[in-house]
Amino acid sequence: MAYVATRGGEQAIEQAERLFRAEMGEITPERVAEIKTALPYLIDRVMGEASLYDEDLAALALAQAGGDLYEAVLLLRAWRTTQPRLHVARPIDQGTLFTHRRISAAFKDIPGGQVLGPTLDYSHRIIATDVLEGARYIPAPVTPAATPAPAHQPSVAAWQAENDLVEMPGFDETAPEDIPDVTREPVLFPATRAHRLQSLARADTGATLALGYAAMRGYGQAHPTVNELRLCEAEIIVTHPKGTAFSAGRVKVSQAEVVSKKGDTLELGFAATLGWNEVKCISAATLDLNSKGAPKGSPTEEEFYLYHTEGVESSGFCIHFKLPHYVTFQSSLDAMRSAKKTSKTAEKTSTSKEPAQ
Amino acid sequence: MTHPHNLCLTTLARSDACAIKTFGEELLDHLDPVEVLSSRTGLVMLPMRDTAQGTGFHLGEVLVSEAHIRMGAHEGYGMRRGRDLEAAMAMALVDLALDAGRAVADCTAFVSEQAKMQQAQDHDTLCRVEATRVDMETF
Repeated sequence: MAYVATRGGEQAIEQAERLFRAEMGEITPERVAEIKTALPYLIDRVMGEASLYDEDLAALALAQAGGDLYEAVLLLRAWRTTQPRLHVARPIDQGTLFTHRRISAAFKDIPGGQVLGPTLDYSHRIIATDVLEGARYIPAPVTPAATPAPAHQPSVAAWQAENDLVEMPGFDETAPEDIPDVTREPVLFPATRAHRLQSLARADTGATLALGYAAMRGYGQAHPTVNELRLCEAEIIVTHPKGTAFSAGRVKVSQAEVVSKKGDTLELGFAATLGWNEVKCISAATLDLNSKGAPKGSPTEEEFYLYHTEGVESSGFCIHFKLPHYVTFQSSLDAMRSAKKTSKTAEKTSTSKEPAQ
Repeated sequence: MTHPHNLCLTTLARSDACAIKTFGEELLDHLDPVEVLSSRTGLVMLPMRDTAQGTGFHLGEVLVSEAHIRMGAHEGYGMRRGRDLEAAMAMALVDLALDAGRAVADCTAFVSEQAKMQQAQDHDTLCRVEATRVDMETF
């Protein structure tokens, strides 16, 4: 390995950054507010991948990065490191989630019923081109029901356990402060389940979908059915200095449970993330479901998918290839030329030694 | 009627930022000088329990604002989601006032009003959610 020092790029670098930023113009509080209001699902995706929940910061990061998701997530992950951790909240239990959407594709008549919530699942995908010709797109208002939905919905898995279809999990007594944390310690393989689920919660959506989709298409051992999918809000339960537990506010959370038949029982895969992001949760739960016994190097093997769905690391590694590799590439060229020269010389020698026909 | 401490804090943490800041300003007239122990932004790690195997894991961190103040033997504490330090401080002032027995009627009325608004908001949300319930008919 060798390095050469070069200079002369300072002005180009300065102007290149200015060119990038000039294209996007002024960033104002109004622009940030508009991004936050108009693009909630993008904000959710960025917050989930950044593993940092704050809509204002996520909107600002998107504005500053011009919508480049990897740059936005990197900005947020970097900013996060400047902040102290004040508390570890009380773990969220499914039964306490303020639920906006909760469906099952496995069972029609689940306790609590099927509540679609906000979704485009059954809508025609038609782009409103009239807007480009000056018209306004005004969404039709919801006709509210006379009585409210229950804020909390029962667990589908608990109902299945009552019917001997799945085993109810035991209670994890790990104190919140002692739960393994990938932001404080490296992930080692085989990973703890806590590390796996945390890594999936902050994984890149596209990468998670790609590998989850591979499993769904047949490159995995189990075909998923959505047992339960929820979009909800969770309370952040913290403790007052006098010991009173209270909620410091709510955050949007999505979670998916997928199920597959194994022998005479059902196996579950699980994933959740900050913000509302169904595709990521279903894909991640599919990877979780398929992990057990996955062949080495397959898309559903834990080490494979956890390494390749970490967006900041993978995008960072990808873009590092744009940086000067002059010495290493020159070295490759030298090796190639040398090999060619040796080959030609050998050929010549070999030809000259060839007896005349 | 005073509210239990946990409900009071939960309501204040979710209250309208402008309203609590205005109310906090008004409360200062009822309080002696306060000592600020902390006023900062920071993170709260949010764990969750997985429903497949029951494992606790970290979902991610939430940005919060925290304020901790003292007035003699009394303390006030505020923590709210987001980076609004003034709103967290206003929450701590209400908590302090209630702890010290100052302007209790005003504080209680403010908390009641905010709680009522939050309940109405949740009711409205859940009525809209209920409108999306599938009334399944099997043929």
